[in-house]
This record gives sequence, structure tokens and C-alpha cells, in this order.
Amino acid sequence: MAAMRHAGLLCALLLCACTGTESSGKGSGGTLVISTGGDPDNVIPALVQSIQGAQVIDMVYDRLADIGDSLNTLGDKGFTPRLADRWTWAKDSLSIAFHINPNAKWHDGVPVRSTDVRFTVASTKDSTLGSPTAPVIASVDSVSTPDSATAVFWFHARNPQQFYDAVYQLPIMPEHIWKSIPPSSWRASDAARHPIGSGPYRFVRWIPRTALELAADTANYRGRPRLNRLIWVFSPEFNTAVTKFLGGEADFFEQLRPENLPEVAKHPELRTEQYHSLAYQFALMNLRDPANNARPHPIFGNRELRRALTMAVDRPALVRSVFDTLALPALGPTVRSYPTTDPNLPQIPFDTTRSRQILDSLGWRVGSDGIRSRNGRPLRFTLSIPGTSKARLQIGVLMQEQLRRVGAKVDIEQLDFPVLMEKDRKRAFDMVLGQWNTQPSPGAVRGSWGTAGSRATSGNNYGSYENPVFDARIDSALAAYDLATRKTLFTRAYETIIQDAPAIWLAEPLTTVGYHSRLQLGTLRPDAWWAHIPEWWIPADKRIPRDNAPALSQRAAADSSAAPAGQKTR
Amino acid sequence: MLRYLARRLAQAAVIVAIVAAITFTLIHLAPGDPFSAVLDNPNVTEKVRQTLRAQYGLDRPLPEQFVKYVGSLARGNLGWSFSHERSVSEVLATALPNTLLLMGVALFGSFALGILVALVQVARRGSITDKALSGVSLFFFSMPDFWLALLALLAFTYWLPIFPVGGAFDPVMHEYMGWGARVVDRLKHLALPALTLTLLAAASVARYQRAALLDVLPADYIRTARLKGLTERQILRRHALRNALLPIITLIGLSFPALLTGAFFVEKIFAWPGMGLAVVEAIGTRDYPLVVGGVIIASIMVTLGSLLADLLYAWADPRLREQ
Repeated sequence: MAAMRHAGLLCALLLCACTGTESSGKGSGGTLVISTGGDPDNVIPALVQSIQGAQVIDMVYDRLADIGDSLNTLGDKGFTPRLADRWTWAKDSLSIAFHINPNAKWHDGVPVRSTDVRFTVASTKDSTLGSPTAPVIASVDSVSTPDSATAVFWFHARNPQQFYDAVYQLPIMPEHIWKSIPPSSWRASDAARHPIGSGPYRFVRWIPRTALELAADTANYRGRPRLNRLIWVFSPEFNTAVTKFLGGEADFFEQLRPENLPEVAKHPELRTEQYHSLAYQFALMNLRDPANNARPHPIFGNRELRRALTMAVDRPALVRSVFDTLALPALGPTVRSYPTTDPNLPQIPFDTTRSRQILDSLGWRVGSDGIRSRNGRPLRFTLSIPGTSKARLQIGVLMQEQLRRVGAKVDIEQLDFPVLMEKDRKRAFDMVLGQWNTQPSPGAVRGSWGTAGSRATSGNNYGSYENPVFDARIDSALAAYDLATRKTLFTRAYETIIQDAPAIWLAEPLTTVGYHSRLQLGTLRPDAWWAHIPEWWIPADKRIPRDNAPALSQRAAADSSAAPAGQKTR
Repeated sequence: MLRYLARRLAQAAVIVAIVAAITFTLIHLAPGDPFSAVLDNPNVTEKVRQTLRAQYGLDRPLPEQFVKYVGSLARGNLGWSFSHERSVSEVLATALPNTLLLMGVALFGSFALGILVALVQVARRGSITDKALSGVSLFFFSMPDFWLALLALLAFTYWLPIFPVGGAFDPVMHEYMGWGARVVDRLKHLALPALTLTLLAAASVARYQRAALLDVLPADYIRTARLKGLTERQILRRHALRNALLPIITLIGLSFPALLTGAFFVEKIFAWPGMGLAVVEAIGTRDYPLVVGGVIIASIMVTLGSLLADLLYAWADPRLREQ
């Protein structure tokens, strides 16, 4: 029996080696082991929230079109065909007809149909599912299917980002797998554990809290991906995850910290690469009184005071101290990766003299203890920080010291993340160190900093910043079809909010990935470093034993071919 | 004996029910909920969070949620884990064997090592060996578990890479190994977390056992044994040790919950997919059903541990057996 199994494994290795050399000049084969923090929350495209889940989904499922490295969200410029091999805009732009690639098949062999597209959109919008994607595709009215190869997206109104809305948010799901399951039961279904997609990799197995494995879909309609196996290994402790990478048990680590870089440099076989992420960090000031949201905040309700506090913080020095070269000072409620962001946005300067002058002029007098007060109220407030973020705690301590120099006393409060979110939601905080992880579209700024997001009980504008000028400029920018106009309008909107200082814009982290030098990477995209994994490869002469292990599915096939008829090998 | 057992089991059931009810109430009263932490993505609106809360019945009044939970518990259903997206029974069923394996090895190792060290110390009491072992015991006794775990991780997986970094097995190559290699792979992954827990617990066992042995050595029956001409080793093994085991049996009962919950840091640092880590992470993510389910299992184990300690007491002390 054991001999039979070894014969099977040998066959699989040979099969792997044969297929590995014929498909391209660079060859296919190899295993990519990614060391990461935790399991995906789920691997259902319409429900996923975690970064690990998004990575798996992007490998297993396909979208109709891919956004491309430029991250353009206007019209369809830069988008490349995926499940749709072409598309046609209606003359009035109220609909787009996508033609499904006739070779596209689900991993179970069933052809991809236009009805799959219609099903994906309808179920994502179904309120019983509770998909976080639903509000983002609100501009899509419905999908019709004139034939099995054509899916027509209908929009409520034309808008510059309608193509992006239709394709970026929606990996297409197989109707024949999910149709019989009520949306409210999707999470608990067997289909959720064994996803079947049409993407470059097939799902193999998920061992909770240990690893998740995918294997190359060798018969994929877009050609087989180069790497044979992708394996995510999970370690809840950061130091353990990074040690797996440093010790050679993993090939890729997605977020190195500054203190890891000297250690990586000691390993000649390891490399690092940086890319701009889509995240920005800020110290959010609550403009409403936490005790009574109908009143302005006794300290932060005043625009000049907020500006004075912003002037007291040396943001470039602070970012350098905490992140070294792994972050840039944030520009505002935006990131440099957006083509609509002007990297030279004017900022409130670091000027402690001017800051003190403003505070004096506002009547905040320095007391014997060095803390300012006005009408008996000290210039003292609480800065809430998520306890899990070491970097944000360091930022908080540095800010505390810098603000002390102008006479403001900051009490730091470290909180459990759910507790912090609850305080945000109830607007029951003074100042909080926050971060938004955004998407390629700058449109989310309307919800997180606009008046609508402040007034709606369900809004994400927790600081309650409201300025109709800012709102109007953001609306105009989002309605612009031309990139140059859009950039100009966004710049004006950002200038408005920067000068109003509802937050101190702190850092825009650069992500540093670490990888084994035998891996040949492609571009690391700001929204998804993993977007080009199907093109990554490992030269045959640099492969290590784990690179030559076939995927479990191939091995099973080889095992059964080596077994005599009627005999089960395992 | 059977009546005694039945009475103790009934008491255990009441304790477990009370602990579960208190845990259910406290975790629901803690600020935040499973969906308030979703996420730092500005696209996730409060409306979506509300839909998710309604989907899981978290928008209902607490007493109603409690009654529903008790109802499902009565049917043997521990609920659905929000953070793992699978049933609580399934999460615990995969975590519990790992915890029991780690705990079992650590418990056995720590008591065997602790008793052995104590025997050596008492046999050579007052010598340099005794003092050195006391110092080593104190060193491990006072050492924080996470610190020792991190040190062991760095020392034996990175500076001197003789053990794998973490996990219960090698997920990349395990399936390609033969039967023997798989066992070795499992043992290699078990070694460091088990060693860490063993060293930490053995230190306190050694200190307790040494003190207990020193207490019984002046007893009349030990003097009699000496007069009979037995060697010091025979006296220690045959006469002193059994009589000095009673406090250690108490320690076994106490070690059950301590290892179950105290293994959290060790499980986290060695990525060991056990119960301590699952439950503590569930508290952070407000995964109510998993927290309550984990506490139920833990309290069952604690009460069983206590019962086991009582039975061992009866085995070791004939006076208790008669009572």
C-alpha cells in the first residue's frame, strides 16, 4: 500500500515536472507560502471583509474586468478583460452589455453564463444577505440577460464610475452552486467552505487556524497560472508570523515593520519591496460634545483651536520616529495612490509659536502647571487609541508630548477595538487615532467626512465634521468625467477640509513586503498586492523541495491512476 | 461511591449552568458587538452592520436572546461562531483535542519533572545541587509565560533552528510525508509549546513537592524505616513520597483550569490552534456564542478536574476512602 502511494506520488511529481516545462518559457511550478496573521473571515465574495478572505477570493473567482495597475475608476480606461472578453456601452450610457468569454468555465466544469452575473448582482443587493458591497453598487439597478453570453448592467443614472462599480466590487459567483441556498444561510453552507470559482486557482482545503491551500487551475480559460500551489499559513502572533518568514518556512510576508528590516537584511536570500497602500491615519477630533451631541464640543467645536492644535504637531518628525521610512505624512482624507490626489496639497504648517499665539488669542491662558485653561476649563482631553496597534500608541505618546508643549494636556486611553468602535459610533469620544482603508475610488470620502455621513445615525463620519462647501466640492469632483477636472475639484475639496482641521492628518503607511529571492514578483498594486500572483514564477533551478510537491488534487489524480482498477489507494 | 459521584456530577451541572448564565450576561453587557468592529473600511455602513445584527438576532432584547440560547443549548446546539463562520461545536471540537494534547503532555511532564527535581533536592538537601535547583525552580516560577515562550521561539526556531516555528503540524508538506515522518512532524511541533508549559508548571510542582517531602521526613514512620535499615532512596520513594503527594494532588486539580486558560499566550506565540486562544480571541471580537461555549467546556473540565483530584485524594489517603 505504501509502495503504491509512493508510486502515485512519483507519477504526480513527474506529471508536475512535465506540465511545468511546457506551458511557458519561464516555466510553471513552485509553491508560494504566505505567512499571515489570521484566517479569512469567510470566502464568499459578497460577504468577505478580511484581507486574507479578499486574497483568496481574488485567486478563486474572477470579475468581469480587472481595474488594471493605473487604478483608474473613470469610464473603462485601463480595465482589462476577465470573464467578459468585451463590452459595449449603450448610447445613453445607462447600460453596459458584457459579453462572457465563451471558454470560461467554473472549476466544476460548468460553463459560465450571463445568468451567473445576474444572480451575483441580485443576491448582493438582497437585503437578507447583509452584504457590505450592497451600498457600494447602489448605482446598479439590475442585470438583464438577453442571451446566455450577454449580461446587461442597467444603471439608475449615468455616472463617471459606473463601470468601476459594476466590475470592481463583484467577483462573479456560480448560480448553480448558490441558487438553492437562502442568502441568510450562505455563511453556514457547505458551499462557503468549498468555494467554486472561475479564477486562476482552485480551492483545495482550509484547515481552520492553520492554513488554506489553493492549486493552479491548469485548464483555466485564461491560461494556467505559473505557481502550482498557494498556501496561506496563519499565526495569530505577529512575531511568530514574521519568524516563519525569516526562518524560511514561508516565502512571503505582507507587512514588515521597521524593526524587522535589519533582520531581513541579514538574510541574503530575502528581499523587500515597498508600495503605497490605500490607507491613511489621522487623529479625529469630535466636533460635537460627547455628553450631548446637540452641542458643539467645548474644545474642538472651535475651528481656530483645531488649527492651533494641528500646528503644534510636527507630523513629518512624528511619522519618521514611528515608521522610519515606511510611511509618509498624510495629505488629508486621501492617499497619494489616487490619480486625483495632488501630492503638493497645502498643509497647515508646523508652527508652535503661531499655535501658542492662536491659543492665547482664544483666551486659553497658561496656568502654573503649564496647562492652559479658559473660564475654569482646562485644555485637557482624552485621546482614544486601539490597544492592539503598537504604531498608533507610539504616535499617541509623541502627540501627547508635542501638544503638552503648547499647553494642552492629553490623557491617553487604550481600548479594545470593539469598545473603541462603539465609542466612535456613539460619538462618545474627544479625540481618536483612526485609520481608513480605502478602495481605488476616492468616493468613500463623502460618507466618512461629508455632512450626510455625520447626520445619518448610520453614518461613518464619527467626528461630525460638516461643511457644505466641502460637500459641494466633493459632489462636483465625483460627477466629473475628465480626470484633470476631477483632480482640480478634489484638490479644492481637500484644501477646504485641511484648513478646517477636523482631524490632524498623520500618516500614510507604505507597505513593505518581504519575499524569498527565488520568487519573481510582478507589480504590487496598492489596492491588492496579490493581484498579479498568477504571473509570479520561480525559476526551475531555484526551486526547493516544497516547490516540487504537486497540489493535493494532482496527487490524488496520480494516486488513482497508479492504483489497479477497483482498488482504492486511500 | 456511585451516589457520591452522582451527587458531585449534579453539583457540577449546576455550577456549569450558573457560570454559563453569568458569562452570557457579562459578555453581552460589554461595550461593542461582533459587528461594531467591522471594520476600518469606510464603505461598510452602519446599515449593513444593523442588518448583520438582525440576521443573528442581536437586535433582540437580552432576556429574549438568553431564552433562545438556553433553548438551543437544551437541544445540544452551542450556537454559531461569528468570527469563525462555523458552528461553535465544530470550532471547539477542532480546538479541544489540541488543547488536551498540549495540556496532557505539559501536565504529565511538569509533574514528572517537578517530583523528580524535588526528590533530587530532598535527597541532597542543603547541598549545592539543592540550592542550584531551588534557584532554577524560582527562576522558572517567576518567569512570565509569554516571555519564556518568545525566548524559546527565538532560540530554537531562529537562532538554532531545530524546531518548526509554530502550528500543530507542517501544513505545506505534512500530506506528502510517510506515517512515521508525520508522527515526527507532530512531535516536533508539539515540543516547544509543551516544553514551555512544562518548565513553567514543573517549577511550582518542584517547590510544593520539596516542601511537602521535608514536612514528612521528621515523621515517626520515616524514622522507623531508617531503623529498619532502608536506604535514603528507598525511604524517599516508598514512604515519604506517597505521603507527600496529597498537596500535589490538590495542585493537579488547580492546574487543570490554570493550564487551560494560562496556555493562551503559549498557544498564541506558537500558533497552536487550541481552545485558550480561540476563546480569548472570541472575547476580543465579541463572538458571544464561542465565548459562552468555551466557558461551558472549560467549566466542565474544571469541575471534572476537581472531581478527579478528589478521587485521587481518596486513592492516596485510605482515611478519606473510608469516609
